[in-house]
Amino acid sequence: MQSLEFRAMNTSVLLAAEGHDWAMAGLNAARRFIEDCERRFSRFLPESELSQLNRFSGTWVTVSDDLMDLLTQSLDFYNETNGLFDPSILTDLKRAGYDKSMDEIRAHGVSSLFASNRTSRPAFDETSLDPIGRRVRLPHGIEIDLGGIAKGWIVEKAAALLSSYSAICAVSAGGDICFVGEPSDGSRWRVEVEDPLKPDETVAVLHVGQGAVVTSSITKRAWSQNGQPRHHLIDPRTGEPAESSWLSVTVFAQQMTLAEAYAKALLIGGAREAERLCSQRPEIAFIDVNANGELFCSQNSKEYLDALDYIRF
Amino acid sequence: MKLLKFGLRFWIALTSVFSFMVGWVMIAHSPKPVQSSTASSSVSAPPTLTPLQPLNFNSNNSQSSPFIVQSPSNIAQAPIFKTGGS
Repeated sequence: MQSLEFRAMNTSVLLAAEGHDWAMAGLNAARRFIEDCERRFSRFLPESELSQLNRFSGTWVTVSDDLMDLLTQSLDFYNETNGLFDPSILTDLKRAGYDKSMDEIRAHGVSSLFASNRTSRPAFDETSLDPIGRRVRLPHGIEIDLGGIAKGWIVEKAAALLSSYSAICAVSAGGDICFVGEPSDGSRWRVEVEDPLKPDETVAVLHVGQGAVVTSSITKRAWSQNGQPRHHLIDPRTGEPAESSWLSVTVFAQQMTLAEAYAKALLIGGAREAERLCSQRPEIAFIDVNANGELFCSQNSKEYLDALDYIRF
Repeated sequence: MKLLKFGLRFWIALTSVFSFMVGWVMIAHSPKPVQSSTASSSVSAPPTLTPLQPLNFNSNNSQSSPFIVQSPSNIAQAPIFKTGGS
C-alpha cells in the first residue's frame, strides 16, 4: 500500500492506494487534482470561481460543469433537509468572525471583535439554475460558502481519479474520507473517531467497506469573539453558530456529498431532527457525541462500530 | 426555322448568363447581416467567469511549479484513518 500526506484546503490530506508504480502515479495525479480544485472553490481566494460567483450575485453568470454540479447537489440537499444544510450562510459566518482562513484566525485572531446585527437575506432556494446553458443566478445579496460539500465533492472525485490507477484506494481530507474497494488482506478500512472533547483520544473505531465517512464537529473550527465562544457551523434558522446538543456527528454513507450534507444537518438539527432526517435516508448510518462526551449511534451503524463505550440511539 | 431555333437558344443562353452575372453583382454588393450588439440587444449576455490559468505539469523548474512532487511512502498495511471534523 502506497500513501501520500500533504496539506491542502486548510487541512491535512492523506491518500492511500494498493499497488506500486501505477499507485504512485495515481497518488500524485490525485494530489494535483485536489490542489487545482482548491483554487477553484475556495472562498478565501478572490480569483476562485466561487468568489467570482459571489461577486456577481443577482446576475446570470456562466459557470463550469463542476460548479454547476456542486450547486445542483447543494440545492437538492437544502430542500431535502428543510434548509438545515444551507451554503448561503456565508454572510452570517463572516459576521461571527470567520472572514479569513482558520489558519489565519488561529495565528492572528478574528478581524471583527463584535458581531454586527443580522440583516434579512433571500433564501438559497431562490437561486436560479440553467444546467443546459450552464448559467447560475444567485439571489441578490447572498453569498455562498461551499466549504464542506466542496471538500466532500473534491475528495470523492479525487478517489474516483485514484481508482483509475488502483482499484483499492482511499482519500481523506481532514477526516472526510472516501474509500474505494476494500483492502486485499481481507480486512476492512479502520477509522478512528476522535473524541471532540479530547482530540488525542478515540471515542470509537469504525470498520467500513466502500463508501464515505464524514464528521462534523463544533469543537474543531472554533474561536472566540468578544469573549464569546464561536464555531463554524451556522444554524440557518438563527444565523448564529448552532447551539446543538451534540458536539460531533460522524456519518457513513455511499456518497461523499450526501454524507457531508447530512453530517452538518444532523449536527445542527440535533436529536430533534435526527429521526425525520434518517427516515428520509435510511441508508445513512451515524454516531454522535453529546456535550457530556457520551456516544450515541443509529441502529444501522452497529455493524460498522467497534465502540469503546456506546449507547444505542 | 433552324435559324429561329438557333436564335432562341442563343437568346436564352445569353439572358441566363446575364441574369446570373446581375445576381452575382447584387449579392456581392448587398449589406451584410447586422450582428446584434450587447448594447442594442434587450437581453444582455451573461458574464463568463474567468478561466483559471492552465496547470504547468511539464515544468522542470521546481520554483515555478505550483506543486511539490513528493514520493509516496510504502507501507505494509492500510493506514488507520482518523475522523473528527476539520
